Amino acid sequence: MPRPDVTRPILASVGFAALLAFSQGGAAQAAEEGSPAPVVNGAAQVAITLTGEAGGTCALDHAEAKAGPVTFTVTNRTATAITEVELMSGSRILGEKENLAPGLAPVSFTVTLGGGSYEVYCPGAKVETVAFKVNGAVATPTGATAAILAEGTKGYARYVDGMVLAMVTAVDRLKADIDVGDLAKAQAAYARARPFYERIESDVEGFVLPGFKPTDNAGNLDYLIDMRASNLDPAVGWHGFHAIERDLFRDGRITAGTRKLAAGLQSNIARLGKLVPGLTYRPEDLANGAAALLEEVQSGKISGEEEAYSHIDLADFAANVEGARQAFAFLEPGMKKIDPDLTARVDARFAAVDKLLEGYRDPTAIGGYIRYTAAVKAADAVKLSKAIQALQEPLSRIAEKVATAG
Amino acid sequence: MTDETNKTTGARARLSRRGLLIGAAGSAAAAAALPGAARAAGMAPGELNPDLSYPFYGAAGQAGVMTPPQRYVFFMTFDLTTDRRRDLQVLLARWSGAIAQLMKGETIGQVEPSRPDAVGFDTGEALSLGACGLTVTVGLGPRVFTGTYELAERKPALLRALQRLPSDALRPELTGGDLSLQACADDPQVAYHAVRDLARIAKETGAAVTRWTVMGFGRASAGKGQATPRNLLGFKDGTRNIREAGEFDRHVWLNEGPAWQRGGTFQVVRKIQMHIENWDTDRVSDQNAVFGRHKLSGAPLTGKAEFDTPDFAMKKPDGAPVIPDNAHIRLAAHENNGGIKILRRSFNYTDGINQYGLLDAGLLFISYQTDPAHFEALQQKLGAADALNEYIAHIGSGLFFVPPAPREGSYIAEGMFAT
Ligand code: HEM
Repeated sequence: MPRPDVTRPILASVGFAALLAFSQGGAAQAAEEGSPAPVVNGAAQVAITLTGEAGGTCALDHAEAKAGPVTFTVTNRTATAITEVELMSGSRILGEKENLAPGLAPVSFTVTLGGGSYEVYCPGAKVETVAFKVNGAVATPTGATAAILAEGTKGYARYVDGMVLAMVTAVDRLKADIDVGDLAKAQAAYARARPFYERIESDVEGFVLPGFKPTDNAGNLDYLIDMRASNLDPAVGWHGFHAIERDLFRDGRITAGTRKLAAGLQSNIARLGKLVPGLTYRPEDLANGAAALLEEVQSGKISGEEEAYSHIDLADFAANVEGARQAFAFLEPGMKKIDPDLTARVDARFAAVDKLLEGYRDPTAIGGYIRYTAAVKAADAVKLSKAIQALQEPLSRIAEKVATAG
Repeated sequence: MTDETNKTTGARARLSRRGLLIGAAGSAAAAAALPGAARAAGMAPGELNPDLSYPFYGAAGQAGVMTPPQRYVFFMTFDLTTDRRRDLQVLLARWSGAIAQLMKGETIGQVEPSRPDAVGFDTGEALSLGACGLTVTVGLGPRVFTGTYELAERKPALLRALQRLPSDALRPELTGGDLSLQACADDPQVAYHAVRDLARIAKETGAAVTRWTVMGFGRASAGKGQATPRNLLGFKDGTRNIREAGEFDRHVWLNEGPAWQRGGTFQVVRKIQMHIENWDTDRVSDQNAVFGRHKLSGAPLTGKAEFDTPDFAMKKPDGAPVIPDNAHIRLAAHENNGGIKILRRSFNYTDGINQYGLLDAGLLFISYQTDPAHFEALQQKLGAADALNEYIAHIGSGLFFVPPAPREGSYIAEGMFAT
């Protein structure tokens, strides 16, 4: 499509001379048609060379190939501004290579293509897209990767539904323990309920109860359930988990107020339980949600702000990471097709975080992890934050990939 | 000599006072006299040129060593987080390509990508600021050269951890590192942006995370053709520094060993805290004795002008040396150290106010030399006996090998991966 758009104005404006140019263009095209990419081991071979010439150039040795498997081998000779190359069909990415830089050995990717027009996209080049043509039977667009990702989003939806169901049960338990006034049991029930919320909190943000303005915290479900002392809206007051945490852990007693809070939490969680099963997700929602959970770790858990009284921040930390990992796991089969390198890097960073968290496990402690005291924070916050940072950067690249998967 | 300098000060003070007193007419005269005054203070006017840029690729040492010191530095070290050789290669190659872009004053990629779910390649805060003389110098710490990356055999012969030295008060969180980036520029935001975006690449490639960092303002060492600036103790710093190409070849650049190391050098970094308040209440004669130089003129106590050669043998009538035995320059001078010379390329830094309510500031000391033992030999003596020790503490430290600049189409230290 873009090609004719570009040539037409040239024809119109240059007039007679254009006829000549056109016939020359035709000849050049004929020559290229005469030499489609050579086939080696069953795959057409196309070399993409990146250079710093003319402000960044992305050049293909063959602009067309026969339908079937096509291997693109990318060499960055001197292009400092180009670090990625993608093969696109319309707005869908079919294959790609990243982390390209001058001096590195060539890298390649293979895709099976049906007849039609494609584009090689080289962000950062002076001319960013180069047309690529495939001759032969037009493949019915398979959308194979998109289908795998869509399947993943359904799996993730079931995971979220399961978490919400479990949370409803856990909060019922918490309320029951509070109602009978058993402090020790209530504390343990609190710690058991929290992780369900922390695993999926990025999905349950932004629910506004019917009849409320979006700016009114009194109708904001996330506010009512998870508000911390540091973000209180005096007009609405304190509700939810952390107000209960204050009573159970700071004050160490259950009052009529605590019972009221527990009843409120129970009804808000029940509302959530009704809202969530209807939700559907796009692949990029999973990726963005995972990124948001890691932001939560950085901003709330490592600072020790989330569980200021119970100090079960590491349990919440683990739950946020677990939720992010689940979202990623449901994208992984599709991501492996789109970008196995990036997938492996994210996998490795998740593994590193898990390994780090292992060291804090304490089955005898409430929440299953050691208490995140001021001393632990002073000694280990930097280490924990760095492990999360190292995961955040590669993870933040996923949403774009899955949103444009072919 | 003191007479003369004091006279100059007097004249300047009078001039500015007059400028204040008689308003516009007088201030023209004052302004006319200012450029000279400004230059004397080590700040040539009109020096900031946003378009100033240095080449990254080359056939000799990396930029940022011989380059006349810029006004600001952002120095950062990194810990490797991977055990894959290829990740290290990719990181050094990505860094090299990105640094080449940054030193031209260009972005490392899209700031606002067209795809809504994409994150920016470049964080954007240096857009339209220009290159501002940016140089980014990459250093490799000892842990790079281990079996993990199949590089144990490639370790530069003289690379190792620095010895423990007298008066070391090193804090673990400000010490060591597997990689270093020294970004210098005449605009602090340009230097900051460079390191910030390179740190993102480190994390994104899975190869490394940040370790410790110092943001330095104000160069505290002079390069060729530059007026001597001052460190935070108020003394001219860099008077007797390496300047000429011949000295660089002898004392800074490696000219032996494997080809990929030739043109390299060793970078020593020390975060040196100053006890500013104590220094400020020390009488000036003692301050001068600490360094062996005059504060205002920079002249050695045995001379009249800044560049007079110190006479370490000169005695006072009572027989005591004019430049005291424990004076900083006596202990550090090449005449008294078997000819050892190092390139000092330091910057002043501040971290605000510390937990005791004291100004938290000092010197980010950076030196380049053909052998880390040259630094150690000097610091052995200084750490043990320097009169300055009363007012400083070495709290951070790192040693890195700085490979030569890559040629276009290659990347930093590519040669060390050759099989
Ligand atoms: C906060 C710490 C330091 C301060 C404030 C400081 C300051 C100075 C000053 C004012 C001079 C005289 C001017 C000049 O020739 O540049 C000087 C000279 C010198 N300093 Fe330092 N310095 C510090 C640390 C060090 C360290 C750690 C070393 C090396 C281990 C060192 C090595 C030298 C050398 C080699 C000279 C030249 C001596 C000569 O040839 O006369 N300095 N320093």
